[in-house]
Amino acid sequence: MIRGQPIPSGPERKMKAGGLKRFFQSGNLSLTAGASILFLFAFVAVFADFFAPYNPTEQDRSMPSAPASRIRFFDSNNRLHLRPFVYRMRLANPLFLRYEEATDSPVPIGFFVHGFQYRIFGFFETNLHLFGAADGNANVYLLGSDRLGRDRFSRLIYAIQYSLIAAPIGTLLASLIGIMIGLISGFSPRSIDLVLMGSADAMLSLPTLILILAARAAFPLELPPKRAIALLIVVFALVGWAEMARLCRGLVKSLRSREFVMAARAIGAHPARILLRHIAPNTAGPLITQATLMLPAFLLAEISLSFLGVGIQEPMPSLGNMLAEAADVSRLAAQPLTLLSPAVAIFTLFLGVRLIASARSKAGEII
Amino acid sequence: MLRLFVRKALQLAILLVGVSAGAFWLLDAAGGDALAGLNENPNISRETLDRLQQIYGLDRPATARYASWAARALQGDLGDSITLRLPVTKIIAARSAETFKLAAVTLSIALFTSFGLAFACVRWSNPIFDWFVEFCVLVSASLPVIVASLALLAVVASSLRGFEIDSLILPALSLSPPLIAVFLAQSRRGLDAALKMDFVTTARAKGVGETAVILRHAARIALNPIITLTGLSVGSLIGGSIIAESIFGRPGLGSLTVFAVRSRDVPLVMGIVVFVSVAVWTANFAAEVLQIINDPRSADSERA
Repeated sequence: MIRGQPIPSGPERKMKAGGLKRFFQSGNLSLTAGASILFLFAFVAVFADFFAPYNPTEQDRSMPSAPASRIRFFDSNNRLHLRPFVYRMRLANPLFLRYEEATDSPVPIGFFVHGFQYRIFGFFETNLHLFGAADGNANVYLLGSDRLGRDRFSRLIYAIQYSLIAAPIGTLLASLIGIMIGLISGFSPRSIDLVLMGSADAMLSLPTLILILAARAAFPLELPPKRAIALLIVVFALVGWAEMARLCRGLVKSLRSREFVMAARAIGAHPARILLRHIAPNTAGPLITQATLMLPAFLLAEISLSFLGVGIQEPMPSLGNMLAEAADVSRLAAQPLTLLSPAVAIFTLFLGVRLIASARSKAGEII
Repeated sequence: MLRLFVRKALQLAILLVGVSAGAFWLLDAAGGDALAGLNENPNISRETLDRLQQIYGLDRPATARYASWAARALQGDLGDSITLRLPVTKIIAARSAETFKLAAVTLSIALFTSFGLAFACVRWSNPIFDWFVEFCVLVSASLPVIVASLALLAVVASSLRGFEIDSLILPALSLSPPLIAVFLAQSRRGLDAALKMDFVTTARAKGVGETAVILRHAARIALNPIITLTGLSVGSLIGGSIIAESIFGRPGLGSLTVFAVRSRDVPLVMGIVVFVSVAVWTANFAAEVLQIINDPRSADSERA
């Protein structure tokens, strides 16, 4: 800090204090962008019932693998409609799943329409949805329907909700266990320390996905959705504590020999007080950084497991098991964009996490 | 070097015992084995099931089973797969060759791309290059293997009808983005730091051309963390191969893992876990040796 850091002279400092360049360089832009992406995902996840026009597990067998509805403003007579509308779709060729639009009857898209019943936060029963077909007999499929005639857009919304349950809770649990073991390890005699850190190293030597899959192999393959999510959380906690424990132990060990801890000990502070008031606050930063690294890894693990059919399973939607549909080459060639919509969601989510991480590291470099 | 090897080998031994015992205990505690599914089958009598359990030794207590498994594992025999009826070592040997080929291609793609970009960035320092590199790091870091491979599959499926889908290049390309993100950021930072060092100034003062300064003097220092990262990336490559191999239908270690887990083939899962830990250990050890060769100073810090 002292050496090699010229103190900025007048004009330079002025530019740094305000100005767009400072904003870009400081990482505030990526922080804002990343935080808004994550906030959007969280918002969609919390109010999934409202954003989804249809029940994600309800099948319409008369509309399998329908293409995405085209939102229109001009009808076939080139007349402008102020309200966006779609044409009713008809299965013209059931063998090749070819659809035709019935251009004689436009179905306007309604906002705040009544659909299936749900409860907000488990209290208020309502059937209000953000949008839907104003005519109850027609369907608006923003991303088409899957092979069982379920609305893919609604499934995507709920998939985001399910995906954002397991990984964050798993991260929290794994962090708590890891911090606990790290604290114990840092304050224990050498023998206990060796055993704990030895097992942490054993966990860390295996790739996360292999470890999670091996742990998953111990449990029945087919599980009801709620138990599957609970199992994923348990597996994440079992697998994820190691890195956190190592980090926490290292921090505790280095903090224990610092002057302020020795001073506290010298004035006769209770060990618990030293731990809680002096050591714990100083470990928060690195531990939070570690947790933000763990979250995307677990998100990806849930997505991968669901993709492979051993995570969240049908009929419940998840970003992973929706992508299983896209692994079929012939279908992927026919409708690449609608089938890859979960992949786009994953990319955006990871971009958000990554933007925040890079903003954090940039801020660290500048300070 | 010898001391390093002995210490690392000791670590591996402890680690193998820990990993295998942990996996064995977990698989046993949850009661999940290939025979569990037969319990509900009405066509299989109790006697047949008991006999099967006896054949596979599942009627003995877990500690005895682990002891006999470990004793045989020490002699290089990881038992027979229950579903494939072949020695586990044979299956893994056949399948892992494919995955290692894939890993080698992926690593070369990732290393060449990221080092090339980082070189261009420092050689012709230009804000557009900087911006482009930052953009590449951001995008490739947000492209998990599952997204990259499906996007690639979509491109190939919809445009080039004649493209050979079972070639190695597609899974390799889809495995590389997360690696490129790490390598590119690190080599960019490493080259920047190296170019500020005194020996670079000396080389420039001697009149060495800028390209040679970067490639012959700065790159060697910047390479150090890349070597370590390459060693560390083998684990994540094997993890990523699970998805890439399932999507592109390649018979490697990744798809074998999926098969073993879905059929709950305990000997096979155990074998894979042990094999992968040895592979990851070997990669890390090789990286450390390479680093000492590249930068002998790091051997001194090892001794200290």
